[in-house]
Amino acid sequence: MSSENVRFTDFKSDKQPTWCPGCGDFGTMNGMMKALAETGNSPDDTFVVAGIGCSGKIGTYMRSYALHGVHGRALPVGTGVKLANPDLEVMVAGGDGDGYSIGAGHFIHAVRRNVDVTYVVMDNRIYGLTKGQASPTSRPDFETSTTPEGPKQPPVNPLALAMAAGGSFIAQSFSSDAMRHTEIVKEAVEHDGFSLVNTFSPCVTFNDVDTYDYFRDSLVDLSEEDDYDRHDYDQAKDAILNADKEYMGVLYQDENSVPYHEAHGVTENMAEIPDGAPDGATDLVREFY
Amino acid sequence: MHDDLNWAIGGEAGDGIASTGKIFAQALSRAGRHVFTSKDFASRIRGGYTAYKVRTSVDQVASVVDRLDILIALTERTVDENIDELHEDSVIIYDGDRTEFSDFEAPDDTTGLDVPLKALAEDAGGAIMRNIVALGAVCEVADFPIENLDESLEKRFGDKGEKIVENNKEAARLGAEYVADEFDDVEFSYELETTDEDYVLLNGDEAIGMGAIAAGCRFYAGYPITPATDVMEYLTGRIDQFGGHVVQAEDELSAINLALGAARAGARAMTATSGPGIDLMAETFGLVATSETPLVITNVMRSGPSTGMPTKQEQGDLNMMLYGGHGEIPRFVLAPTSVSECFHKTVEAFNLAEKYQIPVYLTADLSMAVTERTYEPDEFDMDEVEIDRGKVVDEDEISAWQNEKDQFKPHAVTADGVSPRALPGTEGGVHMSTGLEHDELGRRTEDTDVRVEQVDKRYRKVDTAREQEDFDYREFGDADADNLVISWGSNEGTLVEALDYLDEDDIDVRVISVPYIFPRPDLTEDVQAADEVLVVEANATGQFADVVEHDVLERVERVNKYDGVDFKADELAADIKEALA
Repeated sequence: MSSENVRFTDFKSDKQPTWCPGCGDFGTMNGMMKALAETGNSPDDTFVVAGIGCSGKIGTYMRSYALHGVHGRALPVGTGVKLANPDLEVMVAGGDGDGYSIGAGHFIHAVRRNVDVTYVVMDNRIYGLTKGQASPTSRPDFETSTTPEGPKQPPVNPLALAMAAGGSFIAQSFSSDAMRHTEIVKEAVEHDGFSLVNTFSPCVTFNDVDTYDYFRDSLVDLSEEDDYDRHDYDQAKDAILNADKEYMGVLYQDENSVPYHEAHGVTENMAEIPDGAPDGATDLVREFY
Repeated sequence: MHDDLNWAIGGEAGDGIASTGKIFAQALSRAGRHVFTSKDFASRIRGGYTAYKVRTSVDQVASVVDRLDILIALTERTVDENIDELHEDSVIIYDGDRTEFSDFEAPDDTTGLDVPLKALAEDAGGAIMRNIVALGAVCEVADFPIENLDESLEKRFGDKGEKIVENNKEAARLGAEYVADEFDDVEFSYELETTDEDYVLLNGDEAIGMGAIAAGCRFYAGYPITPATDVMEYLTGRIDQFGGHVVQAEDELSAINLALGAARAGARAMTATSGPGIDLMAETFGLVATSETPLVITNVMRSGPSTGMPTKQEQGDLNMMLYGGHGEIPRFVLAPTSVSECFHKTVEAFNLAEKYQIPVYLTADLSMAVTERTYEPDEFDMDEVEIDRGKVVDEDEISAWQNEKDQFKPHAVTADGVSPRALPGTEGGVHMSTGLEHDELGRRTEDTDVRVEQVDKRYRKVDTAREQEDFDYREFGDADADNLVISWGSNEGTLVEALDYLDEDDIDVRVISVPYIFPRPDLTEDVQAADEVLVVEANATGQFADVVEHDVLERVERVNKYDGVDFKADELAADIKEALA
């Protein structure tokens, strides 16, 4: 498929999503498909990895080479795909539980490796598919079936984690603001290195606090702030750690980011191997004389 | 004069025991002698007791024995630890200047050589070379040309500059001269011949790493764990030369998922770990099988369960590899039986993984993984390596396929159980892989008929492999013997030697060594033809014996050892004799 003719609907599978009507994930996924198409990618050359949960279903609804893996491990899979064949555009999708709870360890390490994948986290601050338990981004007083008095612990700040791990592209978007969300994901796809897009993707069934209205009213769009410089580390740090507001947009981008595969010379498609032992393999035996 | 020599150096971890042992082993190998090494080490960085043993002969050697001829004792504990193996011709080299050796007397019937290792090393340029002084002394005792040691020192220290190499040669020379001058009235009963043979010396982990590169593996991810780390250390810096890459993962969960990602992208990929790591990988192992991803997972076994004894021998993970994971998971399990087989079976593991789109466990045990052995280089002939990638299809084939059957089906139900495989980037082959039950297109399903069809399809590969592959065993000893001994893994070498001991007692034994655990050769006729059947393995319960019993529907006897120490040939012969009595 020549990429000039690709439309975003080419990234759509023939499966109808089973997400609840009104789910934020519809908008999140549409933005991802548009971003892929508008950055000139085709399904044949794209690989999407997803974990478990509502977010994990995305590999079924999108059309590309894809793997729907186990809970929390999507980032290592995406990393393996990208390093084995850097020609592929790799996008990893997960939820707040997948990325910041069971997969939190992998998240930190994927960020610091700076592998060129785009990581979109559908953050609804609740466990939806298991019917409404607290997630690592739930508010401390958010009452759920497993936390009747609230989690009683502060939520994970994914942007701060990414910053502390040396993240080269840290962004936040809102699924319902289709245009801005698509723009932000596009920038993430175009960024050379690991890109985090934490996307607020409201759960209309189980979360009556972090709603569309809440995000619409409270999110501050950085693109409308004249004096915000995304390349300014200190400014980004303040916006992520110290502000009492939640931002939408690219909070930080390292202009000098070099993706892992380029930094370490892992640029060949490893799928291509010779019919027998590779040239020079005999030297390996000679070493043991 | 003895030519079959058992040598050891022992001391505290941090004393340079392993590198000294390796230098000596390489000197022997380069002198055209066969070598078999074993290591006794503890899970600590400094202190404690550690030893490196080298057995050498002009003939092939493949096991350790309970006999020690020359011992370099850097600590008095070294003598205590090996006291049972010393005999009347044994020589102990120690440094009487050290406090703990000041009133040391060699055990009765042995010869103690007090050599001022540290002082002579200082004369040569630094106390650090005291082990090399001891090696020089050994050359004199064993009548082994010191020039061979010089070559080994050049190889070891060449990178550090001419001066270091010369100092080490001098240290060895001073050690040899000291023995020649001071103990000229002592008769040593050793004489190590040299030959013109060219041997290579390597261990199981290195052979697995080399086999992986030979097989076209280009992506490796792993987390450091004893005794599998050597595989990663071998590949690091080497696989890059072939366009590959090693990632040290944050944990084993990540390691297997990284490898899975690379394999889905079309690379030949591997991870290696040991028991605890296999447990962590179990969840993804099921995904690998269900998504029909070709992946090689190497498990270098050590004593378990839990953290067990990380530096000790055991073959205790067989059940985990055969049955581990929730649900039912088709998989292959290969268990090389020697260091060279570690190479060949690794190559085969990659071919089987891709031909059948299935996870393949490749397992070595600690003894084999850390044991170095000599071989003729032809044993690792790279020209004989064949690569079979199975049913990888290109866009033309996909397009032809589509015309015929409307859509490319990555999990097509086929007669042999293997579906066409499209690597990402191939036009027309777009599909999703998942651990969910899925239909031929890879789409999630809970349809009862499709479920049964897909489970059957995945297991059908195993039947196909049984038909197409040669899952045979290796055989030793007396083919007509009434006594049958079955083994797997590194016990093979020890058993071959144990046959000599049994022969002395007029006990005839047929040995079958099984490198394919699943699918495996049918042993029914062999078992039925024998009067007595023993299964030898390094675990407490007889996991392979259970498997054999299940296959042949007949009770078999067991010889088990699970103290963490290798089987020794003479000891094993005695155990077999007792079991047959």
